[in-house]
Amino acid sequence: MTDTPSSFTARARALPGEPWFGPLAALLVVYALFAVVAPDTFLGSLNLLSMVRATVVVGVTAVGMTLIMIQGGIDLSVGSVVALATVAIARSLQAGQSPMMALATGIAVGAIAGLANGALVAGLRLTPFIATLGTMSALRGLAKGLAREQKIDAEPGWLEELMTMPPPERTYQLLPIGVWVGLLLAIVAAFVLARSRFGRHVVATGSSPATARLCGIDVGRVTILVYVLGGLLAGVAGVLEFSTLTVGDPTDSVGLELKVIAAVVIGGGSLSGGQGSIAGTLLGALLLTFIDTGCTHVGLPNWVQEILTGAIIVVAVWLDRLRRRDG
Amino acid sequence: MAGSRGLNDSRAVGTADDATETSDAEREPVLSVRGLEKAFGGTIALAGVDLEVLAGEVHAVVGENGAGKSTLMKILAGTQQAARGSITLGGSPFAPRDPVVARRAGIALVPQEPELAEHLSVEENVLLGAEPGRAGLVDFPALRARATTALAHVAHGDSAIDPARPAASLGPAERQRVVIARALALASPRVLILDEPTSSLTSTDVEQLFVTLRKLVARGLAVLYVSHFLEEVMAIAHRFTVLRDGRSVATGDIADTTPEALVRAMAGAAVALRPRHADRTPGEVLLSLGALAGRHLPHSATLELHRGEVLGIAGLIGAGRTELLRAIFGLDPVRSGTIRVHAEMGPAGPPRRLAQGVGLLSEDRKAEGLALDLTIAENTVLTRRLGRGPLIDPRRERATARDFVARLGIRCRDVGQRVADLSGGNQQKVALARLLHHDADVLLLDEPTRGIDVRSRADVHAVIDELADRGKAMLVVSSYLPELFALCDRIAVMCRGRLGPSRPARELDAHAILLEAAGG
Amino acid sequence: MTSRRQVLGLIGLGLAAAACRRSAPTGGEAGKAPRIAVIPKGTTHEFWKSVHAGAVKASQELGVEIVWKGPLKEDDLKSQIDLVQSFVAQRISGIVLAPLDSKGLRGAVKDAVRSGIPVVVFDSALDSADPISYVATDNRAAGRLAGERMVEALGGQGKLVVLRYQEGSASTHEREEGFLEAVRKAVGVQVVSDNQYSGPTTESAYAASESLLLAQRAAQGDIAGVFAPNESSTFGMLLALEKARIAGRLRFVGFDASTKLVAGLRDGKIHGLVVQNPLEMGYRSTKALALHLRGEKIEAKVDTGSTFVTAKNLDLPEIKQLVAPDLSRWLGAAG
Repeated sequence: MTDTPSSFTARARALPGEPWFGPLAALLVVYALFAVVAPDTFLGSLNLLSMVRATVVVGVTAVGMTLIMIQGGIDLSVGSVVALATVAIARSLQAGQSPMMALATGIAVGAIAGLANGALVAGLRLTPFIATLGTMSALRGLAKGLAREQKIDAEPGWLEELMTMPPPERTYQLLPIGVWVGLLLAIVAAFVLARSRFGRHVVATGSSPATARLCGIDVGRVTILVYVLGGLLAGVAGVLEFSTLTVGDPTDSVGLELKVIAAVVIGGGSLSGGQGSIAGTLLGALLLTFIDTGCTHVGLPNWVQEILTGAIIVVAVWLDRLRRRDG
Repeated sequence: MAGSRGLNDSRAVGTADDATETSDAEREPVLSVRGLEKAFGGTIALAGVDLEVLAGEVHAVVGENGAGKSTLMKILAGTQQAARGSITLGGSPFAPRDPVVARRAGIALVPQEPELAEHLSVEENVLLGAEPGRAGLVDFPALRARATTALAHVAHGDSAIDPARPAASLGPAERQRVVIARALALASPRVLILDEPTSSLTSTDVEQLFVTLRKLVARGLAVLYVSHFLEEVMAIAHRFTVLRDGRSVATGDIADTTPEALVRAMAGAAVALRPRHADRTPGEVLLSLGALAGRHLPHSATLELHRGEVLGIAGLIGAGRTELLRAIFGLDPVRSGTIRVHAEMGPAGPPRRLAQGVGLLSEDRKAEGLALDLTIAENTVLTRRLGRGPLIDPRRERATARDFVARLGIRCRDVGQRVADLSGGNQQKVALARLLHHDADVLLLDEPTRGIDVRSRADVHAVIDELADRGKAMLVVSSYLPELFALCDRIAVMCRGRLGPSRPARELDAHAILLEAAGG
Repeated sequence: MTSRRQVLGLIGLGLAAAACRRSAPTGGEAGKAPRIAVIPKGTTHEFWKSVHAGAVKASQELGVEIVWKGPLKEDDLKSQIDLVQSFVAQRISGIVLAPLDSKGLRGAVKDAVRSGIPVVVFDSALDSADPISYVATDNRAAGRLAGERMVEALGGQGKLVVLRYQEGSASTHEREEGFLEAVRKAVGVQVVSDNQYSGPTTESAYAASESLLLAQRAAQGDIAGVFAPNESSTFGMLLALEKARIAGRLRFVGFDASTKLVAGLRDGKIHGLVVQNPLEMGYRSTKALALHLRGEKIEAKVDTGSTFVTAKNLDLPEIKQLVAPDLSRWLGAAG
């Protein structure tokens, strides 16, 4: 609690033990590599901002997934939830609702989907993997049905502005509003995780459900709440996705869940619960974008890029395990 | 939630003043149980239990496994509900629906293997589910203060556990202290239930635990102490209740009883450990080790094990005895030294060892020794399948398992029962049945009777005797000296990773072994 | 703190990146040649390989460098938007784009144009005035061509099934509508199904075709003709017809000419294929952008035409050039 200079150096020495240290190192290394290989294009600040923007949908979804995975669960349905949210937004805009109303609809749809997942996991005691595998398919079908199996074109109004780069007269804003919203949500989530009673119970539940139950934690309630938050954040991601696409696309974000889970795992999360950090997850998500963008800049064909992405994920997680064993 | 706990922050252990003022004679029971009954399906677990626990006493509950101790504790802690009977806590009726209610009323259970949330710190574990704070946010300074107070009660002398340490870094004894501290951090702790608290502790830790418990009861807390170790019960408890077949059959002051009397009450008949005297003539050498060293432990172990011989390995927990057995069996890597099994030299993995006729009985039967989700029959034939080619023959499996069930006296509904549903003693017999079915020549037995009841222990001992007579060679690790004397022809002591020379058991006594084990 | 193994891991990453550099496209010696990104809808269909060849041909003729990059996830709108944005951030000289959605790409293209990067759209239209040129088959005309030949083949009589591709895909929609327009002129021809979609892949097309054929009792001879509007749907339908053992028993008109489809044509399983000129499309669109960058004036709309190929005219040299162009001549150079 006392920040004397000596405790500062002690902290600096303890840095490699921080959960976000590994992903940060990996991120810097990958950034440096691409900066060397493609200095004239990759290195620009415009590119950096563009990459941050491209990370937002994965990032916001991954914040929710981090909470779920720390609690010991998993949510495979996030891609479907994002697609469903874009469709719901487009439909409500089509029905003449205001953009604000449409935005609320999108988020609410996400939260309800999360509630469904939570109810299946906590209420029916299904394995999260199975429960959300089911809702992944069901919600995708719902999205397609709601969209009548086509992309839905609706006038996005100011929703489109959420993800467009700020106009020249507002360059001080640096990034689209949606990115700032995403960052704010991430900070709130990190705070809740570290400082709130609920956050503590999430970790305890993931770490040892038996202990949590014995200590009087309502494990069922924590579980449902965590999935609702995850769904809600996927709903927010859906709003941002809609802002990017400007259409409601029921086939959007297929496979998003894998990218999101990869981000959480790179960020120090564990499939067996108890571990993970919001900061690490965001860095992991950013790392995935860096690889995608970097490979585009270097001009690699897609198949090489996919191999490279897989390899980097595995190496990053492996290095993190090594670091932990050292520490 | 936050406000209601504020009052007691400074006094983690409740009514210390009351306890010192009240004299022994007029003490009211803090917890009293009348005619408790409970059945699971057709199995009757409790058939009428009476129990009275006074404030400021350590009350021992003893009984064989399956006598109903666990069920009684679970009902008190709120994880199960009684079918009939009444419980009174502090003068008012008490029937906890769940652990939360029980904890709020001041009853806390310290399980045999204390579980912690590994990813949280010590202080967070101590106040898990009862974090101080406001508006959903945790008040970290208050958390630290309350955890520190609670941890001070379980400190060893001046050394308390650092509240900021991660739970994953704690040893078994420290874990237990944290779980006890968690109970003490309750708003008004009244009854602390300890289930086999010493099963994974070293003797120093046991001493420290007793110091702590005496301190706590002096402050007015009641402790319900459940243990198989009668020596411990005699040392720590004030009064006792004996359970047998779901009934309370005896109760009284410890000062007025003897271990023999307790055992008689538990078993219904006298079953005692007798040192072995009969001589066996060992045959050729089946297993020989030359300065064997593992990755961490052991440092050096040299021995020869003959056919028809039981060789005991004594020593403190952490001396490297388990690691020695694991290294022989190929579960842990060998760093240097030699192993010879029959005529074959060199280290080998478990599949090879099994093929050579070496079997290992793990000390951790739940995690390692048995596949808990498989049936008795499946566990029995796990290392030697019955059937043709890749197929199994369930009928033969079951027939074989039935033989072993009869031979070892395994108490179960049916060989198709899941092993997880059996009591500890019966589980151990299933693990033993697997070794017997495998027909291993060299048996490595790690704590073969740990955590099992007196009658099962006698059964296991009889099996080991019989096997030795049939020419099997056995290496037995046990922390319970009377057991080694009862079983072994020769005994060697392991101290800090080094195995001493083996000597005939009858030339040794407990004092000499303890001295050698402590490195004296 | 850092273990030796970690260092080794980092070196591994370094090697991977070095490998990246080596496989980078040639001709990038920091020269002044403009870099043009060519973005197809996907990279695995043979159609796009021809487009690629055409783009390479134009780049060699006009001395520009092209970067060929499809969306990471085939036919995924978000991937394509990300890709365009990433090229804008790279400050590429120009973008040649086959938009996956006529609306969804508007924002990204607007961003590009606002940043001074000209965009040429090909294959499918974009609902926007931002692109400087649109190079494509006149899809409605191509669809009409297919419809007219179908009516001829049926002798003006019979029931027809139309397997659509995917909603939101403007080019195939135009073809489907052109086809329907033409066949509805024939009084004896009746379209019994035109509301089923093949989906994006061969598998999805095969599954859709199979159930469609079953539903319309094609095996019992109830159907006289089938139409599919692009390569994947045509191939999926061909597979379904073969599995149902009715390939060749009904008139089947499809689109595009992959090796498999041409083989079907030769075997008589396919009556005819409308073939676009993807090589020309890639060539003309890249050329238009290159000329624009030189400051020359270009046409706002270019039709690259379409041809009806049957087993009879398959071996004519000019058709052969369309159906099986020698791509290695161009793609061999781009590696």
